[in-house]
Amino acid sequence: MKLTLKIWRQESAKTKGKLVTYKLSDLSSDTSFLEMLDVLNEELASKGEPAVEFDHDCREGICGQCSLVINGKAHGPEEHYTTCQTHLRSFSDGDTITIEPFRANSFPVIRDLKVDRGSMDRIIQAGGYISSFTGMAPEANTIPIHHDIAESAFDSAACIGCGACIATCKNSSAALFVSAKIGHLAKLPQGQIERTERALWMINAHDEEGFGNCSNTGACAMVCPQEVQLLDIARMNFEYNRAKCIS
Amino acid sequence: MAVKKGLFKTSVGRKNLMAITGLFIIFFLVIHLIGNLILIIPNSFFPIEFWGGVENVHDMYNAYSHFLVSFWPVTIVAWVLYAAMIIHVVDALLITIQNRKSRGEKYQVTDNSTSTWYSRNMGVLGTILGVFIVLHMAQFWLKYKVLGTEHDLYELVLATFKVWWFVLIYEIGIIAMCFHLIHGIESAHRSLGIYPKKVMSIIKYIALCFSLVMAILYAIIPIILYLK
Repeated sequence: MKLTLKIWRQESAKTKGKLVTYKLSDLSSDTSFLEMLDVLNEELASKGEPAVEFDHDCREGICGQCSLVINGKAHGPEEHYTTCQTHLRSFSDGDTITIEPFRANSFPVIRDLKVDRGSMDRIIQAGGYISSFTGMAPEANTIPIHHDIAESAFDSAACIGCGACIATCKNSSAALFVSAKIGHLAKLPQGQIERTERALWMINAHDEEGFGNCSNTGACAMVCPQEVQLLDIARMNFEYNRAKCIS
Repeated sequence: MAVKKGLFKTSVGRKNLMAITGLFIIFFLVIHLIGNLILIIPNSFFPIEFWGGVENVHDMYNAYSHFLVSFWPVTIVAWVLYAAMIIHVVDALLITIQNRKSRGEKYQVTDNSTSTWYSRNMGVLGTILGVFIVLHMAQFWLKYKVLGTEHDLYELVLATFKVWWFVLIYEIGIIAMCFHLIHGIESAHRSLGIYPKKVMSIIKYIALCFSLVMAILYAIIPIILYLK
């Protein structure tokens, strides 16, 4: 395959960035998208040019480290995929592909395609945890949980915190991410101790980090690699209203 | 961690306020529609016995209008409505300003396939509706209720809808209302925290059907009066 890549190059958050065009040839359609960037970086290194910086880690679709907005869509053209699981067979020979970083004011660019998603960590620190005894992990079946509730909680817990929802949202809202964590813990008995405060703390942290308001367009859920549902946002709103009423 | 923010000052609270005021305005839209459907009752339906044997649409509509401006509970509801509309607009502006601040640099390439155009452009649709409502109130509410320069509201309505461009403005406003409602009704319930999957599926369906029925019924009134 031959591809033309238009890649966002930016030295730091303080400098202006721009799209730079690169051409690659002799690529296999079975090459993963990140491997293609590796190939490009090898070519750049051989010419003595700085490599394109991008986030990645497990390359198995589970860690949430990879990002990238590919042709205007977070994580690329496939639905509910991560960038690392996207392969060149999703594109056609001769395509021009535009690659940009996840954009939001709360995601300052570190360099090129790499952004600082620490704001999401700080939201989790605000309330995305449970009170628990220290020591060995308890036996899993000590607390009986209905199968449907466990499944529903796991659907929310599946969020890998990649930030694609925020990058896609026209308001840069982190509602889907926050709602996944609030929903996950609100459904389980272990999450009941901080249930009320958690909703208030995490939504407060969300706002303090400068994320926008949810418009319920549903674009976030459409790109979520873990298929976290828009209903989680409604659940988060319920938890917030409940907390405001009883706290 | 201390959270001192008021009920309507967080991102969720602001959307709650949009939802509550929006749903109240929708309640008014239904009442407003029922009243204005009097305008298109065919002459063959008269006299109407349960309306005191009223003999024509002119008398019936004017009696209805007079009741609205003279019955004090309606006046109280009207003031609540004005307040709801102002809060809805101001809250929308505050939310929009906050959202603009939150956005980073614009994408060079955008893919909008993941959401509907009307859900992304509620602000644009709302602005069209806002301009329409100002025109609508200036034409009828101001002249009939505030200034009192027009005493025969039926004749004023009839004369207004004999002007083709006025009919066109109304149709544009009603189309904007339709799309604003389709997304707004579903979004409002989500914002208020209605999360059971089955309930939200029904609400989504109701929102679509309700918005289309409302738009069609509102849209035919100016057209029928123009052709009358």
